[in-house]
Amino acid sequence: MTQPVPTPGLAVDPMSDGSTIHDLGYRRYAGERVGAAGAWNALYVQSVRTMFGMGRPAKAKVIPILVIAATMLPALAILAAASASNGQVPLRYGQLIGGQLLLFVLFVAAQVPEVLSRDQQHQLLPLLFTRDVTRASYALARFGAIFSAVFIVALAPLLLLYVGEIGISKNPAATFRLMGDRIWPVLGQSTLSAFAMTGIGAALAAWTPRRAYATAAIFGTFLLLAAIATGLDDLAGVSRRTAELLDPIRAMGTMAMILFAEKTRGMELNPPPSVGVYVALTLGLGASGLLLLLWRMRRIRA
Amino acid sequence: MNTSLVIETEGLTRRFGAVVALDSLTIRIEPGITGLVGANGAGKSTLLKILLGLVAPSSGTARVLDHEIDADRHAIRRLVGYMPEHDCLPPDMSATEFVTWLARCSGFPPAAARERAAEVLRHVGLFEERYRPMGGYSTGMAQRVKLAQALVHDPTLLILDEPTNGLDPAGRDDMLALIERTGREFGISVLVSSHLLGELERICDGIVLIDNGRLIRAERLGVLTGVTSTLIVEIDGDSDSFARALAGMGMHASVDRQAVLVTVPDATDAQGERAAFDAVRDVAVLQCAAILRMERRRGHLEDLFDVAS
Repeated sequence: MTQPVPTPGLAVDPMSDGSTIHDLGYRRYAGERVGAAGAWNALYVQSVRTMFGMGRPAKAKVIPILVIAATMLPALAILAAASASNGQVPLRYGQLIGGQLLLFVLFVAAQVPEVLSRDQQHQLLPLLFTRDVTRASYALARFGAIFSAVFIVALAPLLLLYVGEIGISKNPAATFRLMGDRIWPVLGQSTLSAFAMTGIGAALAAWTPRRAYATAAIFGTFLLLAAIATGLDDLAGVSRRTAELLDPIRAMGTMAMILFAEKTRGMELNPPPSVGVYVALTLGLGASGLLLLLWRMRRIRA
Repeated sequence: MNTSLVIETEGLTRRFGAVVALDSLTIRIEPGITGLVGANGAGKSTLLKILLGLVAPSSGTARVLDHEIDADRHAIRRLVGYMPEHDCLPPDMSATEFVTWLARCSGFPPAAARERAAEVLRHVGLFEERYRPMGGYSTGMAQRVKLAQALVHDPTLLILDEPTNGLDPAGRDDMLALIERTGREFGISVLVSSHLLGELERICDGIVLIDNGRLIRAERLGVLTGVTSTLIVEIDGDSDSFARALAGMGMHASVDRQAVLVTVPDATDAQGERAAFDAVRDVAVLQCAAILRMERRRGHLEDLFDVAS
């Protein structure tokens, strides 16, 4: 059998005289193809949108909206107080973000399974892996998208505080010259904590095909680590600072305090290790999560 | 590519632990619609997944559309569309969103992806329903969406794993007609698996029969379902006495329900056929019976199973 020559614009029965239009519904495609880069892009954009519940039913939007509102409002309130007191109330970035880490974990636990577990629950992987999506590019696009979304959410309150502090001062230009460097801890804290939370969330979700179980597993893991760290501290007599390194939420909180050069009384009495330890910890968590995800996608039976 | 084979495997073997899913399978599949038949667990899905690059073979080689499956996987992806056996539709997505997104994952630019998705969904017969969440679709509609997503990137070869699974008889007919039309009118080669022989014989050019991971038979369908040596005669009268009268004339005749089956003496010879026709005519005249239908019986795919087992 010879293949008919595709006739652009017309679906023509090759057996006929060539003048009958049988079906307008199917045509050969001779247009442009953007290949693997386009596929990666489609996967990435869809993942970021899913993280915020965009293009998804209303109930998938609840947690993102809740978390964003619950982290932005305190930042606004602090700004309002600072503005009203003419800058007398100090803006404590580290303290603010430390209290919000649990909300970011909630965001990760609720939304990462939407991106990763659903593909396994609905058996979409074979469809993707027979297209311009390889197992590795799938893992990287998904991970990259989750990281981007968590980064945006973790950055938003700090950035609001930063821009707000400059905005409400009497002389914004002078204030900016004074605290221009503060953007680095703002970016550093958001990047590192988002990377660590993405790593933990992505690794767990990739191993849990059911969405609801994945959410429970992620939230449960963070809570369990917190409980173990507290237990080691209180019962086993492990030093508070060492035990804290087991609890990502507290560790990221302490990292924020160090990065923003803030101190609590506890930190004065019991100084934490250098910031490098926390940077290494968060980078390690994120990188291990990414490696676990890549490994899982290489081995998963599609 | 026109003259060459669509699929070629050489000693293809796949083991899952102690289970041998495919046992040194060597097949050649020509362009056209080919049925892959075997009982459940015969290795059909494993073969399809190896051809798609989803599962790696334990040993042996395979070529799809002149590309080695391991070295040229990227090229194969562009040329092959896959409809899996299992459910693969996220219930809260609409068919339009789903097919558009998968077109983009095949490397289509956004606008072209939207256009193609609308076209293939229309081609498979989904109209206004395509904007509704797929969770509410019937099995027939779900199967159509699965076919649409396999077609959206305009493949040269379609690999369909049990496309009629779970469909009622009318749905089966629709799906088979759709597959046949897609294969015939648009020159897309199709490899379609099923455990039901009867439905494949209607649409396929060739059949590959496997069992326990081994090749039992691979034939062009014309060979299998060509004319046989049996002449079917339906008459308006007493079939039993008609058959007896034919037997009296030295023909081999029997009664099957209301039809009389006459064995043509020399099946390949036109003279033998003429002799049989003449005998039937003479008996009909003698018995004053009207001949309602007379034709050479065509072979059925089920015969293939009889031969094989």
